[in-house]
Order: sequence, then C-alpha cells, then structure tokens
Amino acid sequence: MAVEAITARELRKTYITHLRKGLFKRERQEVHALKGVSFTVRKGEVFGLLGPNGAGKTTTVKILSTLLLPDGGEARVMGYDVVEEAPKVREVIGVSLTVEKGFFWKLTGRENLTYFGMLYGLDGRELEKRVQEVLELVGLTGLGVADKLYEEYSLGMKARLSIARAMITDPEVLILDEPTLGLDPPSARTLRELLVRLAHEEGKTVLVTTHNMFEAEIVCDRVAIINEGKIIALDTVEELKRRVSDKVSLEVIAAPPAGVPVASLVEAVRTTVGAPCEAFPENGLVRLKVVQSPDRVEETTSKVLRLLHERECRVRRVEVKEPSLEDVFIQLTGKTGF
Amino acid sequence: MGLRTLLKSGIVLDMYFFKNNRFAFVSMLLWPYLILGLILGMGALFGSAESFRENVGAAVNPLTYFVASTLAAMVSLDVMWGVGGSVLHHRWIGTLPYILLTPHRTSVTLVLTYVPRYLLTAGIQLAEFAPLILMTEGVGSGALKLGVMALAVTVGMLPILGFSALFASFLLSIKEETNVLSWVNPLILLFSGAFYPAYLLPKWARLISVALPSTYTIELARLSALMGSPELRKVTALIGILVAMSAVYNLVSGLVIQAGERRAMREGAI
Repeated sequence: MAVEAITARELRKTYITHLRKGLFKRERQEVHALKGVSFTVRKGEVFGLLGPNGAGKTTTVKILSTLLLPDGGEARVMGYDVVEEAPKVREVIGVSLTVEKGFFWKLTGRENLTYFGMLYGLDGRELEKRVQEVLELVGLTGLGVADKLYEEYSLGMKARLSIARAMITDPEVLILDEPTLGLDPPSARTLRELLVRLAHEEGKTVLVTTHNMFEAEIVCDRVAIINEGKIIALDTVEELKRRVSDKVSLEVIAAPPAGVPVASLVEAVRTTVGAPCEAFPENGLVRLKVVQSPDRVEETTSKVLRLLHERECRVRRVEVKEPSLEDVFIQLTGKTGF
Repeated sequence: MGLRTLLKSGIVLDMYFFKNNRFAFVSMLLWPYLILGLILGMGALFGSAESFRENVGAAVNPLTYFVASTLAAMVSLDVMWGVGGSVLHHRWIGTLPYILLTPHRTSVTLVLTYVPRYLLTAGIQLAEFAPLILMTEGVGSGALKLGVMALAVTVGMLPILGFSALFASFLLSIKEETNVLSWVNPLILLFSGAFYPAYLLPKWARLISVALPSTYTIELARLSALMGSPELRKVTALIGILVAMSAVYNLVSGLVIQAGERRAMREGAI
C-alpha cells in the first residue's frame, strides 16, 4: 500500500497579469509562481510548506485542492490526479484557505457548518452528528460559541470554524493555508495543538503552509522550504537544523530612531559583517538576527553593535543562540523579514 | 450525489438567514408593494387610468396589469441576482472556493441551491398580491389571472436560470468583483419591456429583446391582465417559446460554465 498521501512532481505555474499604463495601454507581465515544485507528503504526517510571502505556497495549495490548474508537472492526492480526477480528489480532501472570511456572517457557526455539510452531500442525523463532532473537535462547543453568529466570532474562533468545515466530511487529507495567520499567541497555540492532534490521534494527513518558522518547528514532522517558486530544502526539522549546526545565531534587539528604514539597517549589517541578516518586528522593537560561525561571533557582535551605535539605535538585548529553523531559512534564502 | 440535499440546502440557508434577520424578512414582505406603489405612483403622476386604457387599447385594469409586470420584473431580477450574482456574492464573502469544492458541477450547485429559494420567494410574492387581485377582478377571473401569473413565474424562471448561469460563468472567468449586475439588470429589464412595451424600442434594441428570456416572462405575466378566451392561444405560444429557450439557454450554460470554470482555474481567478 502506498505511503504517500500527496505527491507533487515538477509543478509549474505562471500567472499572466496586465499592468495598466495610462487609460488604454496595458503591459503584459508574467509572474512565475512555481518553477518545478516537487515533494511528497506521507500518510499521517504534518507536512509544512514554509516560505516568505509570494514564495508559491498558496499557488501550490490551490493546485492540490483542484482550484487551480498547473501549467506543467503532475500532482496526486491519495493516488488521484488533481487535474484529471478532480472530483475524486475533492472527496478525500478538506480545505481551509483563509481564516478571516469564507462563511455567512448572519449564520451561526453550527448553521454555517450544516449548510456546507449539505453542499458536500451530508444530510439528516448523520449531518447533525458530524457537525456536533467537528464543533467539539475544534473546541467551539467548549467555548460556548457554536450557536453564536459568525459575525461575533474572534479571528481565533473563525480559524477553528474553518478547520471544522475542512473536517466536516471526515477527509483523509487536510490542506490548510496559513491557518494561524493573524491569530493572537494563545489562539495560535491552541490551533497548532489541534493540527498535531488531527494527524497523530485522528490519523489525518495535514499539509500546512506557513511563514512562521516557530510554528513549523513545533508542528511539522517534515518541512519543505519554498522560495521564489522552488523547493530549496526538504527534511525533518532536526535534519534541517543539523545543516547549520556549525553556525550560531546572534540576536540583537534594538530600537531604531524614528524614520530609519529597517531594510536599510538590515542591508548595512549584511554588508558590514558579510553574513545573512534577517529582521523581525518585536513589541515595537526590531530583532536583528545574524547567522555566523562560532569563531567569528565576537568580531561580528562588536561590528553590529558599533554600526547600531553609529545609526543611533538603542540596543536592548544581545544574545547568542543555538541554530533554529529560522536560521536555516535565513541561511538558505538570505531573505529579510521586512 | 445528493441532488435532493443540494435542493434542500438552499431552503435551509434562507430559513437560517431569515431566522437571524427578522428585518430582512419583513422588508422582503414589504418590497413587492413598495415597487408596485412606486410604479402606480409614477403612473398617476404622469397620466391616469383612462389614458392607460386608451394607450393599451383594451379594457384592462391598470392595477392587475402592473401587479403582473411588477411580479415578472421582480422574479426576473431575483433569478439574475440569485444565480448570476451569486458568484459575486460568494467571491465577496470568500465562500466561492468552498462552493467550487462541492462534489457537483458548479452550474448545478449554483442553480439547484437557488431554485427552491426562488419558488419560495415567488410564492410569497404571489400570495401577497392575491388578495388585491381577487378584490379587483373578482374571485373567478382573479383566480384565473393569478394562475397564469404563477405559470409565468414558474415557466419563466427556467430560461432565466440558464441565462443567469451563463452570466455567472462570465463573472467567474473574468475575476470580476465589482457589482456589474447593478447596471446590467436595469438594462435587461429595459430591453425586456418591463418599463416600456418592447415594440416601442428601436429596432436594434428589439433584436436584443427577442433574445432575452425575461421578455417572454414579462409578456406572459402581463397577458394575465388581458386574459380572455382569444388570448389563450397566445399564452400557449409564449409558454412554448419559454420552454424552447429553457432548453437552449440551460444546455448552452451547462457547457459554457464548465469552460468558464476551467478558464478561472487556469488563470487563478478563484
């Protein structure tokens, strides 16, 4: 019996857009979203597709969900071809594309699930039972909001309802696009625990996209890092971290003066230390992260601190850490977070 | 799989919606009389019942005539919004991908979830006008005219469903998000003869009028006001046209909406 739930081979997709130039003139532009994406998701695992905005995550998810046709390559879900056997694929998948919308605002969570359940072929007692099960599974009954209007839901509740809908037909494969995007930390944590439970206790295969390294690190059994339409690394989190085990990460939390663009600061650090640098917003401050070999960390620290002093940035904290998935990502892509 | 459930889901959605929005239900009940009041008010402002009878050229009650027109125009609009506009609505609230992920063809989902809702709305509107028609025309003649109106809104719905599904396919494929129906619908009503009789329109507009199924729905509904034995043959002819148009439009829409969906899926319009 095949162990692969999802296989993607050399998926390619180009979007044609038209840039308006004046009243009547339009310029044709090609955006190469996927440039030959290949990966395999095993049955019963949580597989993360990790990448920055515009990397091709949503395009991949839409192709696997049969909502977008690829220009080339092949993808199969539970053995069914996503182009030729789309109806079969739809029977075995549950999809969540956005968490902040996708439901009827004037219906309660339970009513929304009942309606979508009917669209997907459930009815009567079976539907009623299943709606109750998924509401309990995602914890909306526990919160006492299953019979509240969707318009009264917080973003965290909306995210849970979106996963409940994906689960309504009890599919074998769950495809979730950025399920924790915009959630507050407690809601995101609850949802991450739910994803792990769905895979490890309910036996579902979960494909989840995220640009949150921390999330990928704690939720995913395996991770594929996608950047500019290509998979640049694919392995377990531990194996990926081992790739940069000869490195350490220097983290500096600083407050730049008003009006100083963070991107220019990142570029200056990169040029000064000659290593990849990433910046993350953190409680109104900026966390600068430089991945470096241990023998150069002292020299790098003094260079970074001197530069920040010259740029009138107030340094709040300096730390040297063991490598994380975030460091793998920085090392592989050299991307900045801003 | 589950076509009965699909039909039921439309009713369930409306029931939930009205349960949670009592004002929406009340406004739905008031709406037909508000439109009729507007048309009659405008008529009274610019003319009179006598001048209307002279212009129409028959001993017809203006009230019955305009009730029939209002009913046909409203249900035509309702179908356009319910099927054609549903793509826009689903796109706005983000439910479109989940509609496309149902195990049915998109045209089937859009049409079947809508039909019971349409019949319910049309039935309520007809029931609302029934006392007025029965009082105006008397029980025997009033019942006959209400019967023809019921026939018009039922048979008349069929080709408009196909026509609206064609429109839905167009909206699906062009990634349209603006409310194009707000200007398309008045034009359709104009060309269908809802505001002025179609024979008063210029020749090029009459050609469009001939191709629109709503023209015949409105004509059939209005005929109920002129109802007498000599018109019976005309009723049959109009029903024949509507049935033929139903076959053509629904067949074409079935094919075109698949192509529209494919195009949308190729270009990333979903």
